[in-house]
Amino acid sequence: MGASLLASRTGGLVHEMSVAMEIGRIAEVKLGDAAPQLVTVAVDVGDSAGVEFSSLEFCLEAVFATPPFAGAKPHIMRCAGDVLRVAYLEIDDGRTDD
Amino acid sequence: MAVRTIEVRERVMARNNEIAADVRSRLGGHGVTAINLVSSPGSGKTTLLERTLGALGEEMDIAVITGDVQTQNDADRLSAHTPRVVSAVVTNGACHLDALQVFTAIDEIDLDRTQLLFIENVGNLVCPASWDLGEKEMIVLFAVTEGEDKPLKYPKMFQNARRVVMTKIDLLPHVPFDMDRAVANALSINPELKVFRVSALTGQGLAQWFDFLRSSVLPVSTSG
Repeated sequence: MGASLLASRTGGLVHEMSVAMEIGRIAEVKLGDAAPQLVTVAVDVGDSAGVEFSSLEFCLEAVFATPPFAGAKPHIMRCAGDVLRVAYLEIDDGRTDD
Repeated sequence: MAVRTIEVRERVMARNNEIAADVRSRLGGHGVTAINLVSSPGSGKTTLLERTLGALGEEMDIAVITGDVQTQNDADRLSAHTPRVVSAVVTNGACHLDALQVFTAIDEIDLDRTQLLFIENVGNLVCPASWDLGEKEMIVLFAVTEGEDKPLKYPKMFQNARRVVMTKIDLLPHVPFDMDRAVANALSINPELKVFRVSALTGQGLAQWFDFLRSSVLPVSTSG
């Protein structure tokens, strides 16, 4: 798993890294065994979520730079409140549009 | 390429919160009151626990889980004050405990022989506020050697806590700390906060803390 691999490499985690790794886990579960190419991971982050936006973005870039996510880009959508959730994933599953 | 969108809308903390609910259910099933102690590093969590174990250790069954970024120093210190095993969670860099770590740690604890469980979180006023551990309540320590505006700088911790323990009050004559302003700041963030004022060094104020703990635990079951 990419997030676990990253943890073993970094040897230490800050709060935003823990959050980023959990986002990676959610994405991995959602993508399933077919593992299509992940293009974008979009995350809703509230102003009161207890997360520093630039740190989370940095950590997400690190998590999603490793297999099986290599190349995916984080897209943080700021919002009000304490929301912290994975909004959607964009994938390229290799199929062409009909 | 054809990019497709998969709607997710899943809360990032959902899995942690599910595990925390399991921890809470398990502790509740055994009649264990769990308190999550949080603070800045150096606010006196371990010293307060040392005094608490020393004073109440024979009166009630107390277990402790300590969380530290590195070392088992806190667990070793506390082990000198209790015959119970102190479960040390070394987070290897993580700045908070999470519910899975507590779920794992309580496997080492004889819950049938535990009335009160302290979870001494990693010293940090930011990150632990976001992670439910399955505790009954979170209590934040706030030392008089810190700034009076800590509650304003770190509001989430004070919003989530039910009580605040002002520590090291024996130092008040020696530090420029305005206790009234500090408490007012805390109450401006959370008007429901109950405030203790203690010195673990001199014992001042500890009687009220101990009385609160006595009132928080369930009586020992005599059924067997």
